[in-house]
Amino acid sequence: MMNKARKKLWKAVSDVVGRTLPYSTSRRFETYNPNNSSQSQTHFLNSLSSSSQLQIINLCPPHRFSQNVIFSGKNFCSESADNSACWNCNAVPKAAPFLFCQSCRTVQPLHQSLDYFQIYGLDKNYEIEDENMERKYKDWQKKLHPDLVHSKSQREREYAAEQSARVIEAYRTLTNPLSRAIYILKLEGIDVNEEETVSDPELLTEIMEIREAVEDAADSKALTEILSPVQEKLVQWSKSFAYAFRNQKFDEALNCIRRMTYYDRVNKEIMKKL
Amino acid sequence: MDEPAYTVVSDSETTGEEKSSSAFPEIAIGIDIGTSQCSIAIWNGSQVELLKNTRNQKMMRSYVTFKDEVPSGGVSNQLSHEHEILSGAAIFNMKRLIGRVDTDPVVHASTCLPFLVQTLDIGVRPFIAALVNNVWRSTTPEEVLAIFLVELRAMAEMQLKRPIRNVVLTIPVSFSRFQLTRIQRACAMAGLHILRLMPEPTAVALLYAQQQQLTVHENMGSGSEKIALIFNMGAGYCDVALSATAGGVSQIKALAGSTIGGEDLLQNMMCHLLPDFESRFSNHGMNEIKSLGLLRVATQDAIHKLSTQTAVQIDVNLGNGSKLSKLVNREEFEEVNQKIFEKCENLIIQCLHDAKLEIDDITDVILVGGGSYIPKLRNLVKGICKKEELYNFINPLEAAVCGAALEGAVASGISDPFGNLDLLTIQVTPLGIGIRADGNNFVPIIPRNTTMPARKDLVFTTVRDNQIEALVTVYEGEGVKVEENHLLGYFKITGIPPAPKGVPEINVCMDIDASNVLRVLAGVILPGFPHPAIPVMEIRLPTVDDGHGWCAEALHKTYGSTLDLETVQKKI
Repeated sequence: MMNKARKKLWKAVSDVVGRTLPYSTSRRFETYNPNNSSQSQTHFLNSLSSSSQLQIINLCPPHRFSQNVIFSGKNFCSESADNSACWNCNAVPKAAPFLFCQSCRTVQPLHQSLDYFQIYGLDKNYEIEDENMERKYKDWQKKLHPDLVHSKSQREREYAAEQSARVIEAYRTLTNPLSRAIYILKLEGIDVNEEETVSDPELLTEIMEIREAVEDAADSKALTEILSPVQEKLVQWSKSFAYAFRNQKFDEALNCIRRMTYYDRVNKEIMKKL
Repeated sequence: MDEPAYTVVSDSETTGEEKSSSAFPEIAIGIDIGTSQCSIAIWNGSQVELLKNTRNQKMMRSYVTFKDEVPSGGVSNQLSHEHEILSGAAIFNMKRLIGRVDTDPVVHASTCLPFLVQTLDIGVRPFIAALVNNVWRSTTPEEVLAIFLVELRAMAEMQLKRPIRNVVLTIPVSFSRFQLTRIQRACAMAGLHILRLMPEPTAVALLYAQQQQLTVHENMGSGSEKIALIFNMGAGYCDVALSATAGGVSQIKALAGSTIGGEDLLQNMMCHLLPDFESRFSNHGMNEIKSLGLLRVATQDAIHKLSTQTAVQIDVNLGNGSKLSKLVNREEFEEVNQKIFEKCENLIIQCLHDAKLEIDDITDVILVGGGSYIPKLRNLVKGICKKEELYNFINPLEAAVCGAALEGAVASGISDPFGNLDLLTIQVTPLGIGIRADGNNFVPIIPRNTTMPARKDLVFTTVRDNQIEALVTVYEGEGVKVEENHLLGYFKITGIPPAPKGVPEINVCMDIDASNVLRVLAGVILPGFPHPAIPVMEIRLPTVDDGHGWCAEALHKTYGSTLDLETVQKKI
């Protein structure tokens, strides 16, 4: 049992280790001179989003070895996931998504094919009304949370840990406009390289100015004043993304995501300082 | 017992796996070990019931007296007089001392307690001793806590007429994982198995969730989401939680906690009454202990009275001809403790900020713990939350233990036909967990207030060319510099392939599983190579043991910055 848990963790770290491979860019400009403006800009751009090294690294073919590791690791789940009936009582599910058997109240294995929207019973649209998200999240947790299957079998406890983690991840992804945008494009088969830069000097200058203002901000009031236009921009680009995505203009959608990425980072930094 | 006679668990395993072989699962009991008082409760099949000791008390004083051959605690012991606790023979405040080293300010503040708390300021556990027949007899907070827990267990077993093994214990938000291992050790010494350790305000949140669920059933209304701010101040700790509750599920949005409490109010007040009191009692002679005890009782009594009256006359004979006579009013008390109240305020503001909630979002404000009787605190919390009234359907002293008992029943797999146990608390990490990098900085990998179970990772790299080893030092806390945080453990990554600095990618992944066990995994990748350069390392934390305070310093002294790491841009 200990072994199995270890294997799972290993799988996770190899997943993690492998995943970082294609997009790695290091922030190595630790000692930049603030008096030298060109250098400081390099540093700034690096920490902002991506660096020039990035393109070079991207030329390397992406290593997909880790996926094999993941998939082989999922064997335990997928064997029964192919079956549409409950692994415990063989009951046929009445409603999708089938994470939990209503007849015997047992947690089901993870279905990789199930996407986050399906888990939350949503149509695959970018714009979601999130009033019900929290409730659905809680409904799932009440059925799937590991705390509630403490006295059940080892197998079900593992399912619960996986399912519950996935429901959390789905919630986190869908409730954030940026991660939701990235995710919905991924479902369309478009991988977003989040480290890719925008070569729009206007945007870069704007971001740099915001950052300087954040640095100079004396109190939380000043920070709040910087924050609100940033959040407005986020909303604005999120709307543009929705429009582009609806009209299947994926290049435009990608552009929106890149811009959102910049604003999102600044937003996070301000929130951290607040 | 039908458990196998020999089971080898990991050395660091303090909990052990849960074995549920019986058809009727044992209901875990809830225990709230307070700094000053303690209580025990259980789900009796239809509701939570607090157990009483032979003297019909639900609240028992948390202390152990080492007077006779067998030490006795506040569960069974009949105090001949309040002063007996203060004679030097009794150890109390163990919740404040457990898992702390002698450089900790909280330990320093405890050196003027009637029993002996000696500090050498080198980062080892403090020397703690009780005065038995004029001899200082050494003990440890774990031992004291274990003796107390054994009494609690015996009392519960007698009343419930069955053996007790599984418990849900409430803990302060600000407890480090190292302190949790000390609590686990004490429980293991007392033959108890911890099913859950619940931060105190989250236990209250669970009780609140149950109450809301009941109201929904009665009114048949739509159970809309309710945001509750829970503020808990006991004798030793202050905690704040924000929870979002709907349908019996309470999602903790944020936690904040600090080591401030009634004990600080008391000490500040004693200082105010007798400015030289610390130096007066520093030598711990028999007479000093006695007069310190007298002062303590008088001050405590005065503070309690100031909750209901605006002024109180203190008259206490400290012996040796010195007598204290003073009229103290409520404003004075509030003035003396202004800093404490400010800290409380900051905790609430921080918690709201972390939860990304506004004051207007709050449905109910719940005040619990002994501190909830202090008018200043009540007004302060009401003021921040802009509420005229506090939630008053909860007994402030029993809320935490009731929540723990509910969790005990839920986690034991008990169901209730009326849906009263249709409950769940979704916990978050109370403190950030990360490693030392970028010089002496603490870089969190799992930030505080992350929903558990959680797994996060961050990529680091080397700081020197051909650096083949790196030290991963794991800390827990909120400080910017590592020394402001709790050290949890450390290990060395060896065999990093020689490469220019900044090239090797060292992925550090942290995983907190459903049983709140923390594991750290570290892997090394060279760009362009498909496989990890060396086997991934997996370490279960904490690994530090007693006297760990000097470890970080020793590491620094031995290795300097030669094995340092720095952060690489974060991946999503």
